[in-house]
Amino acid sequence: MDAVPRKPKPRWLLGVVSFLAAALVMIYLSYALPRILPGDFVTAAYAGSHVTLTAEQEASLQSLYSQDTGFGSYLLRLVTLDWGYSHAFLAPVSELFLGALPWTLLLLGTANLIAMSAGFVTGVEAAWRHGTRTEKGLIAGATVLEGIPEICTGVVLLFIFALKLQWFPAAGAETAYAEGGLFTRVIDVLHHLALPLCTLILAYLPGNFLLTRNSMMMVMKAPYMVTARAKGVPPRRVRYVHAARNALLPVVTRFGLRLAFMITGALVVERINSYPGLGTLLFNAIQSRDLPVIQAVVLFSSLIVLAVILSMEGLYRMIDPRIRHAR
Amino acid sequence: MHVKILRDLRRNRWFLTGLSLIGFFFVLAMIGPSLAPFDPQDFSFNPLSPPAFKHLLGVNDGGQDIFSELLYSLRNTVLFGLLSGSAALVIGVLIGAFSGWLGGFPDAVFMRLADILLAIPAIMILIIVAAVFRPSPSVLALILAFMTWPTISKAIRAQTLGLKESLHVKAAVQMGGGNWHIIRRHLLPEMFPLYLIGFAAKTRMAMFMEASLAFLGLFDPGRKSLGMMISYALKYYYLDIWWNWLLPPILCLSFVIMAITFVAISLENVLDPRLKEGSLKETVMEKTL
Repeated sequence: MDAVPRKPKPRWLLGVVSFLAAALVMIYLSYALPRILPGDFVTAAYAGSHVTLTAEQEASLQSLYSQDTGFGSYLLRLVTLDWGYSHAFLAPVSELFLGALPWTLLLLGTANLIAMSAGFVTGVEAAWRHGTRTEKGLIAGATVLEGIPEICTGVVLLFIFALKLQWFPAAGAETAYAEGGLFTRVIDVLHHLALPLCTLILAYLPGNFLLTRNSMMMVMKAPYMVTARAKGVPPRRVRYVHAARNALLPVVTRFGLRLAFMITGALVVERINSYPGLGTLLFNAIQSRDLPVIQAVVLFSSLIVLAVILSMEGLYRMIDPRIRHAR
Repeated sequence: MHVKILRDLRRNRWFLTGLSLIGFFFVLAMIGPSLAPFDPQDFSFNPLSPPAFKHLLGVNDGGQDIFSELLYSLRNTVLFGLLSGSAALVIGVLIGAFSGWLGGFPDAVFMRLADILLAIPAIMILIIVAAVFRPSPSVLALILAFMTWPTISKAIRAQTLGLKESLHVKAAVQMGGGNWHIIRRHLLPEMFPLYLIGFAAKTRMAMFMEASLAFLGLFDPGRKSLGMMISYALKYYYLDIWWNWLLPPILCLSFVIMAITFVAISLENVLDPRLKEGSLKETVMEKTL
């Protein structure tokens, strides 16, 4: 990122080109890698059964189930959302994928938004009260929370609130075959969302808080903060307009990366709460060696990561004029 | 400079707590097998019997002693983390120092490679490899290390670029010091405490991943792991086993990861004035799986 440019060429162009190259590499890997894996859908499907296939039966089954094409047509089918047919789930891959995507987006999007805004506000306020007991308490709490992995919080929350107290459902994203109006449906979805959401927020919040607080501490030493206060700018304005804006950069980075890695980030939590998102889909696909689905999920998540990293470069320029005018 | 850092660290309560917890768990992991009263693979006890003097934490559904199981699991998780963390540290520091020092073509190649690796979610690769090839845990730890070195080497590279301009390094070049000599004698000792942040972050991530993969059931079922214990205990939630079977692995895992977090965070705070950019990046990346 901080390579020293020799010519005053547009840096963003270089970034776009190298990221396009990385995207192409990844698409190729997603095309080539699953093909060299041992075992396919046929092997997995018949491994546990008592039927023993002869070599020619196996070959004919494989040719029935395989959707092998060249890389060119693979690329073309990728763009047209024609991702093949999943024989394990008996549905088109794109349908499975698009069916799971909203749940992951809902879970991860909400968790990240809440964790980021809450972490940011508490971080700014804690830094502002530097040296007080409130700040120290908040930092201690956040450091301890940061050390508890989400697999533990998830299991503990599930055990207490779903299995023992039975306040919340232990699995799923909504009640199956439930009838009722829009309002009851929304309540039902939120009811199912609560536990995984809390788990993720508890996992993300302390990091956001510590990051904001640390970067606020650096900003608050800057001379323009003294100037702002001397001018008589109201304290809240100093805090959020003068200081916090400059402390925002690392927080935005973290937010972006979290969104970028959303599928993997929720994998464990989705499994604990049996939430029907992309993580669960990927896990089930791996269990049944369902190549097209694995390909789609892995590729999509890698492309999201690339796109987010690329767009964050642009976002930095918007937030921080120092980067915009550098060099 | 290093003396001051040591003094700051010795006064830091978080660092001391973390370090003593780490020491405790490390010793427990090392001598665990000799402490364990039974072989964790021994199926001969009365299944699901409650804790007693003979079985401190009771017996699980398969008739195995839970306390022995816990000690072996802790050992497996800690060793997995240490192996992966140290491998990532060695790769990351060497590549970071070399590409920062040499610059030019090798620098461009390594940093592009780092960018590509950063964009590939490590847990995906691990899950696919674990599910399909069923490799041994140490192979998985090394694969994880290969996925996670880029953040370390980016921080080290940024520091190297700064050090390159400092007078004593320039003097060493003037005296005719070769690349390897300067990296080994001047750059690496100068950046010493900085590696520890990366090492702690990667070890922590590796333990977390090991627990997650084991929880998802992707390891050999005969290999004990904290994550696997949690997932088995959760199946018997309707029995009154939560405090002797479900809670111990959860507490162990939390305390181990917490201890490393304390050390990583306090190191970062103490070292921060020296390495603004690098440390921020490390904090940002460390929890993204």
